[in-house]
Amino acid sequence: MNAPILTYVTFLPLLGVLAILFIPQRSESGKNAIRWVSMVISTLVFIVSLRLYFDFDPDVAGFQFLEQYTWIPSYGITYFMGLDGLAFWLVLLTTFLTPITILSTWTAITKRVKEFQIAMLVLETAMLGTFVSLDLFLFYVFWEIMLIPMWLIIGVWGGERRIYAAIKFFLFTAVGSFLMLVCIIGLVYFHHQETGELTFNLLSLYDTNLARTYEILFFAAFALAFAIKVPMFPFHTWLPDAHVEAPTAGSVILAGILLKMGTYGFFRFAMPLFPDGSAFFTPLIIVLSVIGIIYGAMVAMVQPDIKKLVAYSSVSHLGYCMIGLFVLNRHGVEGSILQMINHGISTGALFLLVGVVYERRHTRMIAEYGGICRPMPIYASIFFLITLSSVGFPTTNGFIGEFLILLGVFEVNKAYAVLAATGVVLGAIYMLWMFQRVFYGKVSNPKNEKLKDLNRRELAYLLPLVALVFWIGLYPNFFLSKMHASVDHFISQVKISEPASPCAAVEHHAFVDDKTPLDVSSAKE
Amino acid sequence: MSDLGFSFSLSQLWQVAGGQIILLIAGLVLIFVDLWLSTDEKPDHVATMGWLTALSFLVALKYMTCTGWTLNEIVLVDVFSTEKFAIFVSAIVLMAGIFASLMSIGYMRNNKLVRSEYFILLLFAVYGTIAMVQSVDLLMMFIALEVMSLSVYVLAAFLKNDRKSQEGALKYFLLGSFGSAFFLFGVALMYGLTGTVNITKIAQVLSSGPLLENPGVLVAMAMLMSGLFFKMALVPFHMWTPDVYEGSPAIITGFMATAVKAGAFGIFIKLLSVTFTPILAHSGQPEFQSTVNLAALAAYWKPLLWWLALITMFVGNLVAVSQQNVKRMLAYSSIAHAGYMILGILAANDEGRMGVLFYLFAYTLMNMGAFGVLYLLDGQEGKAQTLDDYKGLGFKYPALSFLMALFLVSMAGLPPTAGFIGKFYLFAAAIKEGYFVLAALGILTCVIGAYYYLRVIWMLYMVEPSREVVAGGVGVPSMIALIAAALGIMYFGILPEGLAQVANVAQQGLAMVF
Repeated sequence: MNAPILTYVTFLPLLGVLAILFIPQRSESGKNAIRWVSMVISTLVFIVSLRLYFDFDPDVAGFQFLEQYTWIPSYGITYFMGLDGLAFWLVLLTTFLTPITILSTWTAITKRVKEFQIAMLVLETAMLGTFVSLDLFLFYVFWEIMLIPMWLIIGVWGGERRIYAAIKFFLFTAVGSFLMLVCIIGLVYFHHQETGELTFNLLSLYDTNLARTYEILFFAAFALAFAIKVPMFPFHTWLPDAHVEAPTAGSVILAGILLKMGTYGFFRFAMPLFPDGSAFFTPLIIVLSVIGIIYGAMVAMVQPDIKKLVAYSSVSHLGYCMIGLFVLNRHGVEGSILQMINHGISTGALFLLVGVVYERRHTRMIAEYGGICRPMPIYASIFFLITLSSVGFPTTNGFIGEFLILLGVFEVNKAYAVLAATGVVLGAIYMLWMFQRVFYGKVSNPKNEKLKDLNRRELAYLLPLVALVFWIGLYPNFFLSKMHASVDHFISQVKISEPASPCAAVEHHAFVDDKTPLDVSSAKE
Repeated sequence: MSDLGFSFSLSQLWQVAGGQIILLIAGLVLIFVDLWLSTDEKPDHVATMGWLTALSFLVALKYMTCTGWTLNEIVLVDVFSTEKFAIFVSAIVLMAGIFASLMSIGYMRNNKLVRSEYFILLLFAVYGTIAMVQSVDLLMMFIALEVMSLSVYVLAAFLKNDRKSQEGALKYFLLGSFGSAFFLFGVALMYGLTGTVNITKIAQVLSSGPLLENPGVLVAMAMLMSGLFFKMALVPFHMWTPDVYEGSPAIITGFMATAVKAGAFGIFIKLLSVTFTPILAHSGQPEFQSTVNLAALAAYWKPLLWWLALITMFVGNLVAVSQQNVKRMLAYSSIAHAGYMILGILAANDEGRMGVLFYLFAYTLMNMGAFGVLYLLDGQEGKAQTLDDYKGLGFKYPALSFLMALFLVSMAGLPPTAGFIGKFYLFAAAIKEGYFVLAALGILTCVIGAYYYLRVIWMLYMVEPSREVVAGGVGVPSMIALIAAALGIMYFGILPEGLAQVANVAQQGLAMVF
C-alpha cells in the first residue's frame, strides 16, 4: 500500500481531459476518438480502483490507504485521503458507473462532444475526491468543484427548461454548502481554542468538545447542505427539475452518485462531528424521512413522465437511506449503505433505460407508449428486472437493502417501521403500474411499432448493472462484510452522548445486536 | 514634516523611493517621446508606448520586490517608508498597471484611439498610488491621492465622443473631490488636535494624552475614513461607482477597480492599524504602553465597519443582479468585493490583514482579466455590452469565453481558484474573531453573487446567439496579460501558501513602522 493509489484513482480522469483537449472535434472520427479516450480512461480508472478491493482490510474500523501531505500549513490544511467501509463502496460505485454512463452517451450526445466528455471526467475526479477526502478543506474544495461540471451538463446539454433547472440545482446546493463552509471554519477555530491546534484534519476534529448550542447550530448547517443534496423532503424540489431537464448521462450520475454525497456527508461529517446535534435533530429527520418515503412514492404515482416518476422515486428511496442511517443500529446503517449502492445501480439503470427509448422516440410520456414489449422484447425484459430491483423484490438488491433498513427501524420504533414499509407497497404500485402502461397491451401508437430493440452497445452498458442487481440480491454478504467494522465504529462515535439525548425513546433498543467490541481509537493511526 | 532639515543621502532616497523615481522618469521620458512624434506617426507607436509603459512598471516592480523587500524599515524625512506592507500593495498596483498597459494596446487599436497621454496618465496614476501607500504622512498621502485621482479622472473621460464616459468622469470628479475634501478636512483637524501629520506621531500623541476624550478626534477620524470610503466605494459612498465604471474605457475601469481600490484599502488599513488600533501594543515601544487607550477608538470604528461590510455586501450583490449591462454588473460586483475585504479589516487580526492583501492580489488578477475579456468581446462593430449580446458566444469564441468563465468563477468564490482561497481567508479571519452572524450573512450574499456571475456563463454557453457579435482581434499583449492572469488564478487557487506567507510578512511590517 505504498503507492498513493487514492491519488491515482482520483486524478487519473484528468489525464483523459488532457488527452481530449488535443483532439479536434470537427469530424465524426474526431468525435469518436474523444468518446473512446474518455471511455478508455474511465474504464482504466475502474480497473485501478479494483486494486482497492484486493488491498482493503475489512477488519479495520478506521481509515485505510491513508495519504497525507502538507498543503496550506499556516491553516493546518493537509492533503489527506483515506477510505473506510462506506467510502470504499461509493468509490467503486463511482468508478463503475462512470464508464457505463459514458458508453451511454455515444449517440445521445452528438453536439459539443469534447466539452461534454471533459465535464464528465472532471466530474468524476471531483466525485472521487469528495469520497476520499479526510480533510474538511479538501473535502469542501472537491464538493464545490463538483457543482460546476454538473451545472454545465444540465445547462448545456439538457432539455427545454434546462437553464432554470441548472440554476435551481446550483443555487439550492450553494446555499447549503456556503453556510457549511462558515461552520467548518467555526468548528476549526473552536477546536483551536480547545486544543491549541489549528487543523482541518477530520480525525482530530472528531474529538472536539463543542458547547451543545454550537453542536446543534453546526449540525443544522451541515445537515442543511447534505439534506439539500440527498434530497430530503422539504428540500427536494430542485431534484425533479434537474432530472427531467438533464441529459440521460447527467441524470444517471446525479441519481447514482451525487445524491449519495448527501447521505455520505451525514455519515462522515454531520453525525460523527456533532453527536449531540445529531441526537437533537434525529426525531425531526426520521419524521421527514418517513414523509419523504411516502410523499415521494405518492407523487411518483401520478407522474405522466417516466423520468419524473423515477426522479420522485429517488426521493422515496433516499428517505430509506436517511432513516436507516439515523436509527443508529447495525441493521439500519448497513441497510442504508447497501441501499445507497442499490439506488445507484437500479435508478441509474432506470434512467439509462428511459434514455434508450427517449433517443428513439424523443418523448418520455407514459401515454405515448404502450405495448412496446412486442417490438422490444429484450429491452422489456431488462426493464422488468430493474423494475423488480427498484420495488425491492426478493432475490434482487432492493429487497436486501429495504429489508435491513426496515429491520433496523423496527428495532427502534415499530410505528415508523410500519409507515416506512408502506413505501415498499406504494413503490410496487407506481413502478409496476408504469411498467404495465408502457409495455403491455396493444401497440396503441403506430410510431412505436417499428422501434428497434437494444443494440450491442446498449446491452453492454445495461447487462453489468443487471448482473450487480442479482449479485447483491443473492449474496449481499460480499458487500456487507466489508462494512461491519466501519459501521460499528460509526455507531460508537455517534452514540456517545446517548444518555443526554432527548430522543432516547427512539434509540432505546439500538444496540440490541451489537456484539462486536468497539474500538474507538483505531481510527487514529 | 516636523523634520525640515532634509538630512538624507541620495542613496537613502533611492532605496526608499526607487520605485516612484523610476515611474516618474519613465513618465517624463514618454512625454518627450510623444512630443517628437508627428500626428501621423502616432498610430504606429501606440504599441511601443504601451510596451514601454509596461516595461517601466516591470522595472519598478522588480526593484521594489527584490531590493525594496530586503531593506529594513527606513523612514525618509518622516514622509515615505519602506515597510513591507506598502511594498506588497505597491506590487499589486504595479501588477494592475502592467495588465492595464498591455491590454490597452489592443484596446486603443480596437477603438481607434491614438493618444499617448493615455499611457503617461497611467504611469502617473500608478506613481500616485504607490506614493500614497508608501507615505507615513497625512499631507503627503493627500497629495499622492490627488496625483492618482487627477490622472484617473482624465483617463475616465478618455472616450471623448462617448457621452457616458463624459458624464461618468464629471461625476467622478465632483464626488471624488468631495471625498478628497473630507480627507483633507480630517487631516487639518488631526493636525489641529495633535500638532502633527505623521501617522505614527499622531498615534503617540493620542495614546499618551487625554485627547481621546475630545470628540474632535472622532470627527477627524470619521472625516479621514469617509474620504477613503469614497475611493474604496463602500455603500453608501458608492454612488459614483456604477456610472463611472460603465462610462470609462473598459481597461481603465478594471484599473480603477483594482489598483485605485488597492491603494485606498492599503492606506485605510495602514491608518487603522498604525493610528487607530492597539496593534502597536506588539511593537514593544515604551511610549506605547498606554495603547490600551486606543482600544477606545476601535470601539467606535468596529461597529461602523460591521454595518458597512453588511450593507456593502448586500447592496453590491443585490443591485448587481438586476443589471443588464455586463460592465455595470461588474461595477456593482466590485462594490460587493470591497464589502468582503472589510470583513478582514474588521477582524483586525493577522489573518484578516493577510487575507485582505491576498484577496487584493487575487481580485486584481481576476478583475483585470474579466475587464480584458470584456473589451475584447466588445469588439469593433456590434458592441457586446449587455447580457443579451453575450448569448451563445461560448462556442464561437471558446478561448475568450473560457477565460471569462474562469475569471467569473473565481469572482464567485468557487474552488479551485484564488478567489475562493481569498474569500476563505477573509471569512476565516472574521469567524476567528467571533463575527459569526456577519460571516453567515456575508456568505449568503456570495450565493447571490454566484447567481449573477454564473448568469454570464450561462449566457455564453447555454443560450443560442441572438445577434451577430464580432469580437475584436486579440493581440499578443492582451493574450499575454490574460493568460498570465488565468494561470495566476489557478496557481494561487491550488497552491496559495507561498503568496499567503509573503502577505503575512507584509502585514507584519505594519507593526514595525517605527
